[in-house]
Amino acid sequence: MEQTIQLSISGLQKTYKSGEGVRDINLEIRKGELISLLGPSGCGKTTVLRTIGGFLSPDSGEVRIENQSILHLPPEKRPTAMVFQSYNLWPHMTVYENLAFGLKLRKTSRSEIRQKVEQVLKLVRLPGMEKKYPSQLSGGQQQRVAVARALLLEPKVLLLDEPFSALDAKLRMEMREELREIQAAGNLTMVFVTHDQEEALSISDRIVVMNSGRIEQVASPQDIYDQPNTLFVAQFIGRMNFLRGQAVGDRINVQSFGFHNEKGLRGEVTVAVRPEDIVMLHDESAGMGGTIRQVMVLGHYAEISIETPAGLTKVFLPREEARSLSTGSAVRIGITRVTAYSQSS
Amino acid sequence: MNLDKAGALRMKTSTAKSGLSRQTKDSITGLLMVFPSFLLLVFIVILPISLAVRESLLDPNGALSLANYKYLFTDKAMKNNIIFTLNLTVVSTVITLILGYILAIYLRFSKGRISEWIRKLYFIPMFIPAVIATYGIINMYGNHGWLARIVLALGGDSFPRFIYDYNGLLLANLWFNIPFTAMLLSSALAGIPNSLIESARDVGAGKLNLFTKFIVPMTYKTVLVAATFSFMGIIGSFTAPFLIGPNAPQVLGIAMQQSFSIYHDVGIASAMAVFMFLLCSAMGYFYIRSMVKEEPAGR
Ligand SMILES: Nc1ncnc2c1ncn2[C@@H]1O[C@H](COP(=O)(O)OP(=O)(O)O)[C@@H](O)[C@H]1O
Ligand SMILES: [Mg+2]
Repeated sequence: MEQTIQLSISGLQKTYKSGEGVRDINLEIRKGELISLLGPSGCGKTTVLRTIGGFLSPDSGEVRIENQSILHLPPEKRPTAMVFQSYNLWPHMTVYENLAFGLKLRKTSRSEIRQKVEQVLKLVRLPGMEKKYPSQLSGGQQQRVAVARALLLEPKVLLLDEPFSALDAKLRMEMREELREIQAAGNLTMVFVTHDQEEALSISDRIVVMNSGRIEQVASPQDIYDQPNTLFVAQFIGRMNFLRGQAVGDRINVQSFGFHNEKGLRGEVTVAVRPEDIVMLHDESAGMGGTIRQVMVLGHYAEISIETPAGLTKVFLPREEARSLSTGSAVRIGITRVTAYSQSS
Repeated sequence: MNLDKAGALRMKTSTAKSGLSRQTKDSITGLLMVFPSFLLLVFIVILPISLAVRESLLDPNGALSLANYKYLFTDKAMKNNIIFTLNLTVVSTVITLILGYILAIYLRFSKGRISEWIRKLYFIPMFIPAVIATYGIINMYGNHGWLARIVLALGGDSFPRFIYDYNGLLLANLWFNIPFTAMLLSSALAGIPNSLIESARDVGAGKLNLFTKFIVPMTYKTVLVAATFSFMGIIGSFTAPFLIGPNAPQVLGIAMQQSFSIYHDVGIASAMAVFMFLLCSAMGYFYIRSMVKEEPAGR
């Protein structure tokens, strides 16, 4: 699957006066790929995106689109388009004027503009909204128009900075599905910034996990979830239990359990276990003992907190199975899969 | 639903018991609260204006006539005064707006150390009393002022007449009005989020387009407010024209004062006052109309 590289970032560094910023950013994004920049607030996602869009100039590094450096270009000349975090339509223009403005600047003919605007409004499921003003639209509609405005420019790379974060959960889910459809249908290259790991996992071809201005891991959602490279990624992505363990020779020991020491760690280690990799055992002598601290029913499943000698763990069970469990009772659990990290990392 | 009804019923009976309904009480409180401002309005605005209007319509014998107005618009000196005042006011307002807008835009978009200093200092003129500022202007631009002395010291042979002239008044008007105008416009410009401007650049707008298609439409209402305030302030200005204005033609404020206290011609003075009041009302009318005009953008 050898595909052309649409956007490449190498050795990118940008430090603000406060000393914060991003560095050592290296990234190659293929044509037609949707990449998410994921990380906690303040980790530098917006900084990277704004550097690509031309609103910040980096201290060092290179940004290329279709193998051409774009760093010398101002935002208005870059082949990128950006969807901003806040509702960002121009309040004094109608939806039509908002959409047509960029095309007018490109000397597109009037009839062609009309046709393209109509088309893109259909694409974002807002046909016939041309005459409305932004203040007459709901948040979700406004953000749809913002996406449409960016799409109309036919950018080589579309940049989105937490475009749906101001919307409620249900709408956010709908919008991300629609965006993914549009992206796939048009084979568009997108860089999507989010701090919501669920959003990143559901929408992306690959995820770039960032932490304090650096990239922690770049991988597909599947790999990020199954093989988090660092303790930070393990903590940040999905639900995870952290237990105390010891690395001895080629084994990682957690109480009576032994796992393969793949990374050749030594001494005290932190062992990460997904809730779904913990099983309840009914054999009194097997596995590890623990005491139930809490049973929380969350719809069709229940979350059970169990205190074990290796630390507190959480387990998900179907509601039926959880019915017989009560706070304070003793249980035994088994662990099927772990990832270990040295404690200094 | 039933509960609601019961609650409503209980409320009705309780208010009935206390004599006055809550609504009546509320409206009485409301009246009491607006009463002081209403009195102020009557005695400071409405009454004097009506008196001035009446005064302007009486001839020296106390009979009703339009003589005062006729004099105002036919007497050569008076006509010159009016033209001089209108000219000075309009030119000052326009230049104030242009310079104030440029200053505000510079302050909004420039991030250097110089702009930081200007941001801290530019409104100082607002806190200097007009009399003191006017004497400052005399000291600086007068025939024997600092500038004249510097020009002479540098070998120049004459310094252009500045004060006791149109130019001096223009300068004073700019000094008094630019800071406030710039402050109003600055706050309007501060209300435009950076991201709106960035998104405009993102779709390809250059500097000129940015200014004409985004910044001006998003701030024109404030420009109108600033224009109104400047116009009103300048047309009614007195201190600077009194100290550094030319003897003829005169600004209306001065002419009015002279008719009133030197020539004791209350009728003419009142006619001038009414004329100025009408000019300002016209300005106010356009101002209010454009403020009230339905704004679909909703901002
Ligand atoms: N203009 C700026 N000046 C100084 N510091 C900034 C500026 N913009 C962002 N930062 C800092 O840089 C860090 C990264 O910011 P940002 O890229 O906006 O993070 P994110 O988008 O991941 O939340 C933050 O700690 C933020 O406080
Ligand atoms: Mg951000």
